[in-house]
Amino acid sequence: MHNTDMDPEVAQWVEMLRSPQLDDRLVAVKTLQHLGDEDAIEPLIGVLYNEENPTVQEIAVTTLWEFANPVAIPPLIECLSSPHANVRDEALSALKELVSTNDLMKLLDVLQVGNTYAQLNVLVLLRKIHDAQALPFVLPFFESENPTLREAAVITLRYLNQVVRCEPALALAQDANASVRRATALTLGHLSDAEVVPLLCELLTSDADWQVRRNAAQSLDLLANPAAIAALIAAMGDPEWQVRKFTARALQKTADERALPVLIKALADEYSDVRRDAATALGKLAQAEALPALQQTLNDPDMDVRIFSQRAIDAIQKSLPETSNV
Amino acid sequence: MALTSQRVDVPVIVDESKCLEKCVACIEVCPLDVLVKNPETGKAYMKYDECWFCLPCEQECPTGAITVQIPFLLR
Amino acid sequence: MNIQYLKTDFLVVGGGTAGTMAAIKAKQASPESDVLILEKANIRRSGAIAMGMDGVNTAVIPGNSTPEQYVREITIANDGIVNQKAVYETGRLGFSVIQELESWGVKFQKDHEGNYDLKQVHRVGKYVLPMPEGKDLKKILARQVKRHKVNVTNRVMATRVMVQNGRVTGAVGLDVRSGDFVVIQAKAVVLCTGACGRLGLPASGYLYGTYENPTNAGDGYAMAYHAGAELTNIECFQINPLIKDYNGPACAYVASPFGAYTANAEGHRFINCDYWSGQMMLEVYKELNSGKGPVHLKMYHLDDDTINEIETILWDNERPSRGRFHEGRGENYRTHGVEMNISEIGLCSGHSASGVWVNERAETTVPGLYAAGDMASVPHNYMIGAFVYGRIAGENAMDYLRDLEHVEPDADFLAAEQARIYAPMEQPEGVPHTQIEYKLRRLVNDYLQPPKSPNKMDIGLQKFVAYEETLNLMGARDPHELMRCMEVHFIRDCAEMAARASLYRKETRWGLYHYRLDYPEKNNEEWFCHVNLKKDGAGHMELFKRPVEPYIVDVDLIEEVYDVAVR
Repeated sequence: MHNTDMDPEVAQWVEMLRSPQLDDRLVAVKTLQHLGDEDAIEPLIGVLYNEENPTVQEIAVTTLWEFANPVAIPPLIECLSSPHANVRDEALSALKELVSTNDLMKLLDVLQVGNTYAQLNVLVLLRKIHDAQALPFVLPFFESENPTLREAAVITLRYLNQVVRCEPALALAQDANASVRRATALTLGHLSDAEVVPLLCELLTSDADWQVRRNAAQSLDLLANPAAIAALIAAMGDPEWQVRKFTARALQKTADERALPVLIKALADEYSDVRRDAATALGKLAQAEALPALQQTLNDPDMDVRIFSQRAIDAIQKSLPETSNV
Repeated sequence: MALTSQRVDVPVIVDESKCLEKCVACIEVCPLDVLVKNPETGKAYMKYDECWFCLPCEQECPTGAITVQIPFLLR
Repeated sequence: MNIQYLKTDFLVVGGGTAGTMAAIKAKQASPESDVLILEKANIRRSGAIAMGMDGVNTAVIPGNSTPEQYVREITIANDGIVNQKAVYETGRLGFSVIQELESWGVKFQKDHEGNYDLKQVHRVGKYVLPMPEGKDLKKILARQVKRHKVNVTNRVMATRVMVQNGRVTGAVGLDVRSGDFVVIQAKAVVLCTGACGRLGLPASGYLYGTYENPTNAGDGYAMAYHAGAELTNIECFQINPLIKDYNGPACAYVASPFGAYTANAEGHRFINCDYWSGQMMLEVYKELNSGKGPVHLKMYHLDDDTINEIETILWDNERPSRGRFHEGRGENYRTHGVEMNISEIGLCSGHSASGVWVNERAETTVPGLYAAGDMASVPHNYMIGAFVYGRIAGENAMDYLRDLEHVEPDADFLAAEQARIYAPMEQPEGVPHTQIEYKLRRLVNDYLQPPKSPNKMDIGLQKFVAYEETLNLMGARDPHELMRCMEVHFIRDCAEMAARASLYRKETRWGLYHYRLDYPEKNNEEWFCHVNLKKDGAGHMELFKRPVEPYIVDVDLIEEVYDVAVR
């Protein structure tokens, strides 16, 4: 069964893995984990297939993870579809560390034939590999009945290198499920399809879910496209402070003097992050008109707001012609 | 010198009905070496009140027999 | 009592961050040599990162920052008192350490394109690299130790380093379970025993409710001192802003990218840099003692999903019992600020600057004795610095010892050390170590906690010196208690060093870390130097100035004052 050179101490616990007593098997697998002897790898893989108790299985997964031996990768991938959540989750954690590009084909197979658990877990693992070859296998999940799979797929898209256009993803911006739209709003920031900016502007100004609006602002910040200016100005009036905060950040990159009034107003925002980021955006605009309002925020109770207002004032004064320097 | 034995609320609680006699997982991982087996029952217990509430004992226990509480003085 | 004799080429005392790396690198440099890690716990879960780490504080990643920028940042953060060559090594080698750790399976946070996702926490550069999945760091290191065929002896605590004819010849220690006296002959020794985390007494009164792993009692500081090595910057204490009572980090720098921040009781920011420095601690101290205290980590303005994400990271890593601490008090990040307080003092170069003096080769001033990690003097070195200096020590030691032979231990030395260690076992009814330690550490709080008063420190010093006698009252009933007794000896040594060094430097420096009430200003004319100390020929503690080595990176310290409270 196992090799004859095995350390007798290890062999004794390997033997006990087959005990009819659950307690014995638990002690055996735990002890093998602590001994860390690589001769135990094969019997532990056996546990993944033959053991019925999920706790013993889970400890076997952890132990194989600690060995980090690639022979355990295929059996661990099979655990991704286990009916026991603890076994699946532990296998996923292990594989996040162990998988490499070499395992891509195996993972893509599971994506096509595995159960929902396995599909979800593989979508997560593909984010570790970043390989654009996975794209055709990810796309079908955009139309899955299961919103969790749609969400996972659109997140994974963001992690596939060299994917800059993906027309099928755009429709998910109108998904019925808010979590899917939130994820889509973030992913769109990494795409360059022509429709992306108008779509994000629409999400920013019209989506019912504030986290979708916030994520749209973050993506517009990343894209820094001047075409978004009208939507960004409108979003400074959003009832949610985090939307206003990330919009103010986007306005730092898309400096446009039409934003001046809303940014000055934001210096009196209830939330300090909004006041701070608005002050910085005003610094980028370099308009003397903003100086009186920024002078007032030098007395802000929040240290960051004071610091960034001063920096904005310095930046504006530096950009003005010498003569008008007050 | 006279020594008294004082009652102390210890952070590491072992459920004896779940603790396995052949297992020493918690004892092996405790950084402060505060857990030992009761020689009469074979069950683990916290012998020294020197706990960093760091949790390896609880996490390594294969039967979930251990609960670590925040020490009373900090709770 | 039984005596165990062991022999190795290279002895690594302490199997934490620096120690495991030192051993691995020594084996890589010289696979045929024998390398032994001596660990008083079990290397699977020992040291400062026993429960993992949620981020790297000093990652110098090409394209994001340079070793020169890093040296400049640390020079300013440590008020100029640095050996820049030593700091430079952390910047220069940090990236290759990160890459090697990654090849072993350690995961660092990356963005969607697979680039390192660095965060700005320091005043200028980006050096913080989150590790949201860093909980198994120690298991990964233990696996590499095994793969490299390093020998490991768990549950043995070193008590003294052996020095003969001016060079290191090994160490002696105590098996904390069997009670055996352990004598290890070695051609070179690296001390990697971590911080002195049990110096001050936590406000909770619980001896082990410390910020540092409480196994780290200053063992290496005391052992290096008794071996004749120089120590430095001891007066630059470690004081941290921590979750009140729990005494663990609130990890503002983990939560801040999500929008959390440190605020005063009115909910406003009062510092703009969450990087821990003496200057930051002084601002926290002032705010706590103003009408606007106490201070808290503020998250209650954030949404549920964001807070869930923060909780997942914070409750899984480094100090995973944080979650149940808050829960037990019925407190929730969604509705409550996390009340913060200033910790008791400790010694730790990983966070501040106090440690055993090492140069850029990890050499102490005793030939054959190396030091790395939280106990070696490279300032603000954190985890990456510990790995870097573990590596440097391991590689240099193997080079150093190549042509050396073992030396027979000195019988008188062994007899004296044996008598010292086992004295408490002769009087099992003696005063329990818990009481002896409690009183000692309470005295540390009373007399050394900054702001520092010269008269109080004088009294403290007298008490710490007199405590040498008090230690003779200790009794131990088993080897475990004996281990704790020996740790109290280490703590006392560190307390005396802390008092003497603090009295010696007659100025204020490093913000709160060395804030002297009688000399409230920085005085570069007289004190732009290290304060070093060592055991002189007569066995007394000798203090002296050691000049700061010429800078290799230009820093204008007048221009670039470290200030976390203004622009």
